Amino acid sequence: MEENVGYVVAGYAITAVALGGYVLRLFVRAREARRRAEAVAARRGR
Amino acid sequence: MDVAARGLGKATSRSGERALGVAALVAIVVSATLSLVVAPPDAAQGEVQRLMYVHVPAAWLAYLSFFVVFVSSVAYLKTRRIRWDRIAAASAEIGVLFTALAIVLGALWGKPIWGTWWTWDPRLTTTAMLLLIYLAYLAVRRVVDNPSRRARWAAVIGIVGFVDVPIVHLSVVWWRSLHQQATLLRVGGPEIHGSMLAALLVGVAAFTVVYAYLMTLRLRVGRLEERAVREALSPQVGELEEADA
Repeated sequence: MEENVGYVVAGYAITAVALGGYVLRLFVRAREARRRAEAVAARRGR
Repeated sequence: MDVAARGLGKATSRSGERALGVAALVAIVVSATLSLVVAPPDAAQGEVQRLMYVHVPAAWLAYLSFFVVFVSSVAYLKTRRIRWDRIAAASAEIGVLFTALAIVLGALWGKPIWGTWWTWDPRLTTTAMLLLIYLAYLAVRRVVDNPSRRARWAAVIGIVGFVDVPIVHLSVVWWRSLHQQATLLRVGGPEIHGSMLAALLVGVAAFTVVYAYLMTLRLRVGRLEERAVREALSPQVGELEEADA
């Protein structure tokens, strides 16, 4: 196997981790924001 | 409460988002297959040239993202509608991600071909400046509290900062550069082999679908975060908190 294949593997792995990680981070932010908004709305409804 | 619930439901609506997510995933799998299996290795560079199929689409996405920031910023300054500011903010964040990715992938490609991870080449330097400009854009958004002032300042940076995009693209033409000339957007059209060109175009299309998906997701997050802040700053809540105290 060509010795430079490691750079290709690293490049594709970094791309996958960066995009996957960002999507995951956005889901976490959405969940946190929704919880905050719901908590305030619930207090207002008391 | 009904109005609040409806508003919250609208803010978290997932219509189209999941379909785009699936489309993005399929596009990425197809692109990876074409890039890693179907396209032949480069005659001169060998296997490492396969990094082109992610490096070029990442750079293209950076251009596209910052173009969207530019257009949205102009639209915001013209209309003062906060919707345009939301779009600009979302696109800038995604653009920073793809610019950083393009730089890292370029470094991985540069090491075996140029013998160095980084050099102060015009293309690399102007790209690093692009990253810094939009990091500053995001920083300004974090430090300015007043929403309309934040949107106005950010819009100005979004417009002025876009000047660097054509400079990045044309840097390899204007100055003596270690970086190769443009692969796709060049006078006379692309000069690479048909199967490589197909893999590259599919990669660009796949990354564009990923951008569309990230934008829908990031816009939903933005709406939810704005709503959470609005709810927290509501006078009624303030009164409740005072009563609790």
